[in-house]
Amino acid sequence: MKKILTAALTALVLATGAQAAGYPDKPVTNIVPFPPGGSTDMLARFMTQKMAEKLGQPVIVENKPGATGAIGATQVKRAAPDGYTLLTGSIGVWAVNPFLQKNLAYDPAKDFDLLTVAVRAPNILVTNPNVPAKSVGELVAYLKSKQGKVSFASSGAGSSDHLSIALFWQQTGTTGIHVPYKGGGPAISDLVAGHAEVSFQNLNAVIGHIKAGKLKALATTGDKRSALLPDVPTLAESGYKDAVVYSWQAIGAPKGLPEDVKAKVLDSMMSALKDPDVAKKLTDLGFEIVASSPKEFALFLQMELARWKTVIEVGHITLD
Amino acid sequence: MDILANLSLGFSTAFGLANLFYCFIGVVLGTLIGVLPGLGPVATIAMLLPITFNFEPVTALIMLAGIFYGAQYGGSTTAILVNLPGEASSVITALDGYAMARNGQAGKALATAAIGSFIAGTIATFLIALFAPPLAEMAMQFGPAEYFSLLVMGLIVSIILAHGSLLHAIGMILLGLLLGIIGTDVNSGAERFTFGAPWLADGIGFVVLAMGMYGVGEIVNNLEKKETRDVMLKHVSGLRLSWAEFKQILPSILRGTGIGSFLGILPGGGAVLSSFAAYAVEKKLSKNPIPFGEGAIEGVAGPESANNAGAQTSFIPMLTLGIPSNPTMAIMIGAMMIHSIQPGPAVLTEQPALFWGLIVSMWIGNFFLIVLNLPLIGMWVKLITAPYHLMYPVILVFCAIGVISINNTEWDVFMMAAFGLIGYIFGKLECEPAPMLLGFILGPMMEEYLRRALLMSSGDATVFFTRPLSATMLAFAAIALVVVLLPSISKKREETFKE
Amino acid sequence: MSSLIKHPKDFYAGLMYASVGAAAAWICRDYTMGSAVRMGPAYFPTLLAILLIMVGVASLIRSFFHRGEAIAAFAWKELGLVLGAIVLFGLLVRVAGLAIALILLVVISAWASQQFKLKTAVLLAVVTTAASILVFVKGLGLPFAILGTWFAR
Repeated sequence: MKKILTAALTALVLATGAQAAGYPDKPVTNIVPFPPGGSTDMLARFMTQKMAEKLGQPVIVENKPGATGAIGATQVKRAAPDGYTLLTGSIGVWAVNPFLQKNLAYDPAKDFDLLTVAVRAPNILVTNPNVPAKSVGELVAYLKSKQGKVSFASSGAGSSDHLSIALFWQQTGTTGIHVPYKGGGPAISDLVAGHAEVSFQNLNAVIGHIKAGKLKALATTGDKRSALLPDVPTLAESGYKDAVVYSWQAIGAPKGLPEDVKAKVLDSMMSALKDPDVAKKLTDLGFEIVASSPKEFALFLQMELARWKTVIEVGHITLD
Repeated sequence: MDILANLSLGFSTAFGLANLFYCFIGVVLGTLIGVLPGLGPVATIAMLLPITFNFEPVTALIMLAGIFYGAQYGGSTTAILVNLPGEASSVITALDGYAMARNGQAGKALATAAIGSFIAGTIATFLIALFAPPLAEMAMQFGPAEYFSLLVMGLIVSIILAHGSLLHAIGMILLGLLLGIIGTDVNSGAERFTFGAPWLADGIGFVVLAMGMYGVGEIVNNLEKKETRDVMLKHVSGLRLSWAEFKQILPSILRGTGIGSFLGILPGGGAVLSSFAAYAVEKKLSKNPIPFGEGAIEGVAGPESANNAGAQTSFIPMLTLGIPSNPTMAIMIGAMMIHSIQPGPAVLTEQPALFWGLIVSMWIGNFFLIVLNLPLIGMWVKLITAPYHLMYPVILVFCAIGVISINNTEWDVFMMAAFGLIGYIFGKLECEPAPMLLGFILGPMMEEYLRRALLMSSGDATVFFTRPLSATMLAFAAIALVVVLLPSISKKREETFKE
Repeated sequence: MSSLIKHPKDFYAGLMYASVGAAAAWICRDYTMGSAVRMGPAYFPTLLAILLIMVGVASLIRSFFHRGEAIAAFAWKELGLVLGAIVLFGLLVRVAGLAIALILLVVISAWASQQFKLKTAVLLAVVTTAASILVFVKGLGLPFAILGTWFAR
């Protein structure tokens, strides 16, 4: 009995050893902690083919939705650090959940090997055309005259655009009514119809409405003007330097990835993100390709965590 | 005539060989995933999206649209045959459709669903072609106050759905409303009734609830009826509709189409209400001697037509305004964006071939669906004449895989078993699940709109009465309530007089 | 007691409504109530819970006054086997894999039928499992392991 056990264990050790050398020798699972169809899911799916070509093994996107990404992220944290389980998460998963979810079972900075910030997208400050403000300055004056009675639509309590609203209020010394929706679509719908007045939205989701005059763009939250709307200033240009906000998507893996595996999987991601076809599709969806190094990601994550911690504390944002 | 030019542009686009082919692939795939419970159109479209990269934009959209309405269509098949409603609208189809199947009329029920869907799809296509922009503008009038009133009206109307005790109908609706609230609150982000369990944080899935209450509960119900088991489906009559039957259901189809076309345009929850509303209307108007719930053919024709018409018209806000009215439409918008088309009001003028091609393809797709499905009816009916003791384990397999594939968690499987138990107990207590499921779907929406309306009006509750549309609907709801209550009051009076 | 309750179905349904309502109202005490203007997470469910308790009480009262049939007997064996098979599937699908979980689901649930024959059930299980793997895993690409973590190296 003992002999068999020893033999089995040896085989196991040998097998795992061989695995590290020949990574990957089975399909790689990329966990998306959201339902299919969202922007994080699309990013993961668009990268799949090029990653698989580079790795020589299929890459399977697995949706593990729930609790604003916490369920999927926790699952990846608990997976073996062998390069076969990856996590594609959003700004919410990486930088916001720790300050909003009380029983969060993962620590974004400690439980993962940070691989790359894949993409980012600036938001755009839009209003219903009937809002009497043509610039950020006029909007601030309007908000002050209305004394907090202007409605701000967001895609959900604790979403990145909710935090953008909170940051905007803090930077401009204004306030308003935060009206959360279930996702960006219904928020845009009420904004166009005039039931809600102001919002921060992904540029590509609203550019059609802006061009058709159904929505008014006042500023972008990026650090430079958008090529699609060269006449719309940045918030920084409008006088609010610290209001530069991007929503972003980044990829990590369970902590403790072997160096060679890490290099291989990172290489496959870079080749996917830098592939012209993939890059074009992602740009069409409104993303800017970042493709940062793990070091840059770690530094960036620390900055983002610190920043959103402050915004959430100052704005007294809680989920109850 | 402008419309003729537009339609001919649409026809020339949609009849392109590639477009025809992928429209066909789309509806076949849609039917398949519709028949199989669990994996819905949203997940399928998301998975197929990367494949459509190399397609022409219009071809990609035609195929993805085909998956969407094909799935709506396929969903009714399993609801009728084995009482497995894969989505909200099929719950209603299951009521009388499954009853018809048990009476040996599965073929007729399926044919009714197919023909109703086709007629509804055709009419809705023309509605979109003729009136899309003004209809979309009208939908924009619906703010949170209007939606809340619409949902109140829907709930009141749904009381008509119940054929048992009124008190139990109200109790089950309330129970459903409470069940629907489990999970994360949209307005505050707080988790409610989750007991800290992460797998409850996003609430209970509709499919989990429906599979448990209907699918699993019904299987145990059948198993305990020892003597009738296995013989209940031996006598199958009539695969086809007679001309007289067609004439009988045509008014129901047309009414359902009207209701579905209108409610389908509304982005927030209108589509869900359409089949419930159509059922209630048919129940009120029917002269059928067979009571509703026991296999009345109008109870299949009306809701199925409403469902399909609504599926078509839900494209209106997406195509004309770039506003997604449901998760499927949101992915379609993503599909447009990756093909460098900016969704919004300009699509109609800048991409006429895409707009009209897609609309015409929907009609072609509906045609494919009926051509594909009418001959299949015979096969489906044969399938359910298989001995029950061989069939139900297979149904359970579909339930189990379907449920686990939605969120990829085994907790959903456990919950399905729990709802199977609850459904079985409810059956013993004569508490009907249909009102509960409606409450379950509407609960979170009702709360969301109520709170949003009050938030935006700074707590002024009169918004519900000062806005004309909202006031009209509330008034209608009040009238409906009186109409519902009156017969039961007068009946009670009759009963007391008898004694 | 049972002579007092003339309508057992109404009685137990009423009991169920009232206790679910009471439990919900009780749990809601932990959430923020808010005001009618800014409703907290507790506001709407508490309202529903109170209404549900009222319906429950009405049903309870009614059960003492009008007559109804007794509740039919429960088919415990069938219920246990079907539900047990589903739960077992959930427990096994990751560790043992889809193939074994499905075979057991079919065989155990088939046991609930009077016409149960082990041979037929096993045959049905193998055919169904093979077909499911083909359609769902190979065809639709659902991420299930055919053999679970127990069999991984």
